[in-house]
Amino acid sequence: MNPHEQHPTNPLEIVRSFWRNRNLIWQLTRRQVVGRYRGSVMGLAWSFFNPILMLLVYTFVFSVIFKARWGIGAEESKTDFAIILFVGMIIHGLFSDCINSAPGLILSNVNYVKKVVFPLEILPWVAMGSALFHALVSLGVWAVFYLMMSMGFRWTAVFFPLVIVPLILGTMGVAWILTSLGVFVRDVTQVIGILTTVLLFLSPIFYPLSTLPQQYQSLLRLNPLTFIIEEARAVLIWGHMPDWMGWTAYLAVSVAIAWIGFWWFQKTRKGFADVV
Amino acid sequence: MLSDDIAIRVQNLSKCYTLYDAPRDRLKQFILPRVQRGFGRPARNYYREFWALKDISFEIKKGETVGIIGRNGSGKSTLLQIVCGTLAPNSGFVETNGRVAALLELGAGFNPDLTGRENVYINGSVLGLTKYQVEARFDKIAAFADIGQFLYQPVKTYSSGMYVRLGFAVIAHVDAEILVIDEALAVGDAFFVQKCMRFLRDFMTHGTLLFVSHDTGAVVNLCKRAIWLDRGRTESDDKPKRVVEAYLSTLYESSQGAHTVVGNSAARQVEDEPTTPKDMRLEVINASPHRNDIELFSFSPDAPSFGKGSATIVSVVLADKAGVPLSWVVGGESVRLVIRCKPHADLLSPIVGFFVKDRLGQTLFGDNTFLTHHDAPVPAREGQILEARFDFCMPTLPVGDYSICVAIADGTQNTHVQHHWIHDALFFKSHSSSVSTGLVGIPMTKIVLTLH
Repeated sequence: MNPHEQHPTNPLEIVRSFWRNRNLIWQLTRRQVVGRYRGSVMGLAWSFFNPILMLLVYTFVFSVIFKARWGIGAEESKTDFAIILFVGMIIHGLFSDCINSAPGLILSNVNYVKKVVFPLEILPWVAMGSALFHALVSLGVWAVFYLMMSMGFRWTAVFFPLVIVPLILGTMGVAWILTSLGVFVRDVTQVIGILTTVLLFLSPIFYPLSTLPQQYQSLLRLNPLTFIIEEARAVLIWGHMPDWMGWTAYLAVSVAIAWIGFWWFQKTRKGFADVV
Repeated sequence: MLSDDIAIRVQNLSKCYTLYDAPRDRLKQFILPRVQRGFGRPARNYYREFWALKDISFEIKKGETVGIIGRNGSGKSTLLQIVCGTLAPNSGFVETNGRVAALLELGAGFNPDLTGRENVYINGSVLGLTKYQVEARFDKIAAFADIGQFLYQPVKTYSSGMYVRLGFAVIAHVDAEILVIDEALAVGDAFFVQKCMRFLRDFMTHGTLLFVSHDTGAVVNLCKRAIWLDRGRTESDDKPKRVVEAYLSTLYESSQGAHTVVGNSAARQVEDEPTTPKDMRLEVINASPHRNDIELFSFSPDAPSFGKGSATIVSVVLADKAGVPLSWVVGGESVRLVIRCKPHADLLSPIVGFFVKDRLGQTLFGDNTFLTHHDAPVPAREGQILEARFDFCMPTLPVGDYSICVAIADGTQNTHVQHHWIHDALFFKSHSSSVSTGLVGIPMTKIVLTLH
């Protein structure tokens, strides 16, 4: 590859760059996951304790203290609320982990900008890989908990990976834009931290969408997480098929966002070395 | 496209550092001028300009070694960064032909939180090696870097020397066709610098080398061509000796005002004193801070070596006239170099030799036993110990690191078999020196300044 050429911006390059650098992405992701707990006594086990502890706390707070009910009928058990809630938390966690780290990616890897010709466009993939790992661990913990509550396995759960594909693509698009913006405007990191927290409460995580008044429901549907959270619950808990029409539309928009993000990143990356 | 024999072509290259008061101004510069033009208004600039490079053009052929010299801030590092592709030029273009590996300003693209080992793998793949290729070369890289257990520690715990060692070890093993090195060897110790020089001299026989150095001696010695940059422009591009001379004279002129002419030959008289060539200033100099103290490090039998192996060099000692080993020598004193070898087979006419190299691997002086013994060779049998003694007057050496290379061969000056050759058998360091210029100082028997 000639380092002096323009960085290609066509959408195919997203796939090509991913494939070309798959080894590097894998190595860096593994490092990121293992490195987070480096030096701690329990090491990688923390990535399991975290979701377990959170799930226990949610169960206690919402079923014992608040006695919250999701409203799915008379047979709803005490722990149902926590189980439904946790699926939303996993989806939100996947999105916010990736988005929160994006603005700092370049700034924490200055050597990769200045000292070597590094495929910088893979850094958001690494953030995504690490976020996916933690989401999968949480999902595993959730599944064990779910089966222990003897709810029975829903075969529609096999569609879960498909459900989050559009989310991954859309998140990547946003991450590419934020990775680039974060270099030029340092305030982005702060703003994004606030936005993802706001999004936690403006997504149907702690409450079902249907309990909201009609006019707010359509407003909440504009939140990109709403659809994915609802669909994830549909396949994992309710045993419904995904809404294929909605899924296709969402995917189309996600691909467009991914491309726009990638295009922006490739266009602006030449300026990185000037300001880091 | 580049023709096949050109490795690097730089054409009308200019780089303007746009100094922004805040990073967000860089973003405004991306967007706002286009918008302003779109509305038919004159585009506003959000930066102050600093031209680091202005209209630089040159071509480097494959296999050429080119040194870039210039004062601080003249654009050398910027040029190298653009050649490597980590920095984008404002105008003009660069083409490179072949795999480029670079060591830019103290250290490669290491991630400080990762261990040395992990960084080797990541850097290897960035430079185009597959995981298996890195695995296959890892032991060699580790041996070259020679930083021991630190390889498994995060890079942020490294000293600057270790950083460069590892960085150099990686780029030395990625089969680069073009090597770009920026002031990298300034921090390594003598042993490592010798190792790098051996690698570079070998690399120069087949690869293209572009390097920046403030060490004009290294440029003259290593390069076939030098480029002198001054305030972003090419001041001269010629044979290194000519370029360096012009550069140094401008450098001193700017710091000393004008040429200072020192003495003339008529006023300097040198008288013959054939018995013992002793610098007449020796006593005065030895009593002053100019005394040429040379610190010796002991013989390292594990230093890189080669040879057929029918004999092994077992010890190399620098001693005084009486044969007492020295750990400290003063330039100008008589010393004796004793090299002991152990033949593993019968040698008909063994030759033992040595030479002294400076930090650039440049041979300063040396000798061997051939001429004194070619009429009467000393055949050595297996089990005997062959000892060679060289008595000489240690020259006054400029401050720096030196090494002694020793070897034993069998045969004649022209046709012989090397049995054991140790690159850096003995190291020594010259601490302070009365030598003002040149590679070695020779004893001045008399210096007189007269008026008529």
